[in-house]
Amino acid sequence: MAAKSERGRLTPYLLTLPGVLWLTAFFVVPMVTMFSVSFQEGNIYEGYRFTGHWQTYTDTLGSYSEQFLRSLWYGLIVTAAVLLITFPMSYWIALKGGKRKNLFLLMILLPFFTPFIIRTLSWKLILGDEGIFLGTLKNIGILPDSYQVLATPTAVIAGLIYNFLPFMALPLYVALEKLDPALLEAAQDLYSNKRETFMNVTLPLALPGVFAGSLLTFIPVAGDFINAELLGGVNTTMIGNVIQREILVNLDYPEGAAISFLLMAGILLGVFLYARALGTEELMG
Amino acid sequence: MTDRNKELERLMAAMPRRAITRRDLLRRAGAGAGALSIGAFLAACGVEGQETDPSASGEDTYTTEKVAGTLNFANWPLYIDRLKGRRPTIDDFEKQSDITVNYKEVIQDNESFFGTVQEPLSNDQAIEWDIIVVTDWMIARMIRLGYLEELDHSQLSNFEAHAGEIYKDPVYDPSNAHSVPWQSGITGIGYNPELTGGEITSFDQLFDPKLEGKVGMFKEMRDTFTLTLLSNGVEPQDATIEDVEAAQKRLVEQKEQGIVRNYYGNEYADALLRGDLAATMAWSGDVFQLQFDNPDLKFVVPEEGGVLWVDNMAIPQNAEHPIDALEFMNFVYDPEIAAQITGWVNYICPVPEAQELLVKQSKTDGRYYKTVAESPLVFPTPEMESNLYSYKDLSPDEEEQWQDLFGELVQG
Repeated sequence: MAAKSERGRLTPYLLTLPGVLWLTAFFVVPMVTMFSVSFQEGNIYEGYRFTGHWQTYTDTLGSYSEQFLRSLWYGLIVTAAVLLITFPMSYWIALKGGKRKNLFLLMILLPFFTPFIIRTLSWKLILGDEGIFLGTLKNIGILPDSYQVLATPTAVIAGLIYNFLPFMALPLYVALEKLDPALLEAAQDLYSNKRETFMNVTLPLALPGVFAGSLLTFIPVAGDFINAELLGGVNTTMIGNVIQREILVNLDYPEGAAISFLLMAGILLGVFLYARALGTEELMG
Repeated sequence: MTDRNKELERLMAAMPRRAITRRDLLRRAGAGAGALSIGAFLAACGVEGQETDPSASGEDTYTTEKVAGTLNFANWPLYIDRLKGRRPTIDDFEKQSDITVNYKEVIQDNESFFGTVQEPLSNDQAIEWDIIVVTDWMIARMIRLGYLEELDHSQLSNFEAHAGEIYKDPVYDPSNAHSVPWQSGITGIGYNPELTGGEITSFDQLFDPKLEGKVGMFKEMRDTFTLTLLSNGVEPQDATIEDVEAAQKRLVEQKEQGIVRNYYGNEYADALLRGDLAATMAWSGDVFQLQFDNPDLKFVVPEEGGVLWVDNMAIPQNAEHPIDALEFMNFVYDPEIAAQITGWVNYICPVPEAQELLVKQSKTDGRYYKTVAESPLVFPTPEMESNLYSYKDLSPDEEEQWQDLFGELVQG
C-alpha cells in the first residue's frame, strides 16, 4: 500500500524526467557555460581565465548601445508591420477561406520551402542599383541615378518583414480559426456594428495569437544578423552582427558572451512588459 | 576602346571552357558560401574560451618518418586546376608518387576554419588534415600558438630551386620554417571607369565625396588598415598604434560622409560587376576573372602601395602523414605543375618560371594562356612587386587594439 502510493507520487516526476534532462543538457549547461565565459579575461594566445570581470558588461553596453537599440527598434517595427500585414490575411483565410483554407495556408508557406539565404540573396540581385528593377526605373527617368535601396535601413527592415511573415501569420490563423462564428452573429443580434464586433469579440479572442506571433517574430528578429549582413550597409549593423564578429572573427569569447546575455536580458524585459500590458489572464484564453 | 573590346571578344572566343567554368562555379558557390559560414558560426558558438599553451608544439619530430601512401588535404573552393570533373594536378601526383590524395574543399575563410580546428589543436590532438592552406597572418598566429609542424627543407628541393625570391624568408614565417606559399594575390583597387568617370590611381580617390555610396571597403581588418596606412605614408611594418588610430579616424570620416556603401567580404566582386560599386578595394585574382564578364573593369595597385598576401601550405601539428605532405609540397613547385595550377586558378604563381611555360602552352592551346601569362595580375611586373607590402605581424596586444578600432569602424 505504502509502496504503491510512493510510486504514485513519483510518477509525475518520472514523466517529466526526459524533458528535464533535455533542458539540462541543451539549455542549462550551455547557458551556464556562456555565463561563466562572459566573466573571463584573456586572449586565445594566453587562454581565458575566470576572473569575475563584470566590466565586460558595462564596456560592451557602452560601445554597442547603438546596435542594441537599433536591433530592438528594428524588432518593434518589423513585429508591428507583420502584424498589420498578416492580420487581415489570416482573418480572411480563417473565416472566409471555406474549403480552400489549406491551399491558402500553403500559399503563404510556399516561398519558405526554399532556404532563406537563397531568397534573401535574390533580393540583392533584384534590388541592385543597376538591376532589373531600379535600373529600369532609372533609365526611364522615374528615379534619380543616385537612388539606392540596398545598403539602407529600408532594405534590412523589408528583408526582415519578408523573412519573418509566416511566424506571425500561422499563430494568428490558429487563434482566429477557433473563433466561433456564432459569437459574431450574437454580437450583431445585440446591435453591435461591425467595428464594435471586431473590437469587443474578434480582437480579444485573437489576442493569444497576436501574443504568440509577436514573440515568435520579435525575438528572432532582434537577434538576426543575416539580413543586415546581406542587405545592409554601413549604418544598419545589428547586435547579432556584433556578436558574430566578436566570437568568430575577433575570437573575443567573453565579449561575445556578455553581449548575448545583455541581448537576452533586453528581450526578456521587453516580453515581460508586453505580457503585463496585454494581461496574462486574457492570454490564457 | 572599341578595338580593345573586339580584341577581348576574340580572346574570349578562343578561351577554353574551363576558365569560364571557374567563374561560373564561383558565382554559384556564392549562394552556398553564406549558408556554410552560418554553419561554421553555429559550430564556433560551442567553442569555449580555454587555456592554450604557446609552447605546446613540444618535440619537433614528426609522427612518422615514412611515406604512408595517404594525404589528407584541406583547401579553399576552386583553388586547384580542374578538367572534366578531374583534378589533373592531383591525378599526376597520385600517379607519380603512389600516394592517395583525399582532397577536400573545406576552407571558406581563415577565421571559421580556425574555429573548427582550434579545439583539437589547442589540446595537442591531431586534426584530420596533413596539409592546410591559410593566409600568411593566420600562419603567423598558428605558429605563435604552436599549431604547425616545422618543415624539413631537405625534402623540399623544388621549393629552393624554383620559388620566387619574394616568397622566400617572409616576415610572417622567417626562413619558411613552417610554411610554403600555395598561391598569392594583391589587395588593391578594382573599379569601373564608366561609373567613376575616370581613371583611379590613388587610394585617396576612394575618399572622394563624388563617389558617394559607390565605394566598397573590406571588412577584412588587415587589408583595410594596411592600405589606409600606406596611403597615409606609413609602412605597415613600422605602424604604431597612433598611426592606426589616425587611419581609423580617416576611415570613420569616409563612412560618415556616406562615401562607403558597405564593408564587404567576397561578395564585393558581384557588387562591382552589377554596378552597385564604382570603385572598391579588391583582390587581383577576382578582378582578372571579372574582366571576362566585363572587360571594362580595371584593377590597379594604388600608387601609395598595395598588399601582397600569400596563402600558404602548412602541416598541422601531429599530422598523421607528414612525409606525404612534404612530397606534395615539393611536387607543386615543379614549374610544369605550377603552370598547370595557375593556368586555371589565375592567382599569382609563386614559381616565376611558370610564366614561360604558359607562353609556350599558348602556342598550341590557344590565346587564353597568353592572357594569363601576360597579365600583371597573375605575374606582377618588378615595378608592381616593388610597391607591394606584407601585413604587419601583430603581437597579441596589438591585434586586440587593432580589432577594437576596426570594430568601432565597421559596426557603426
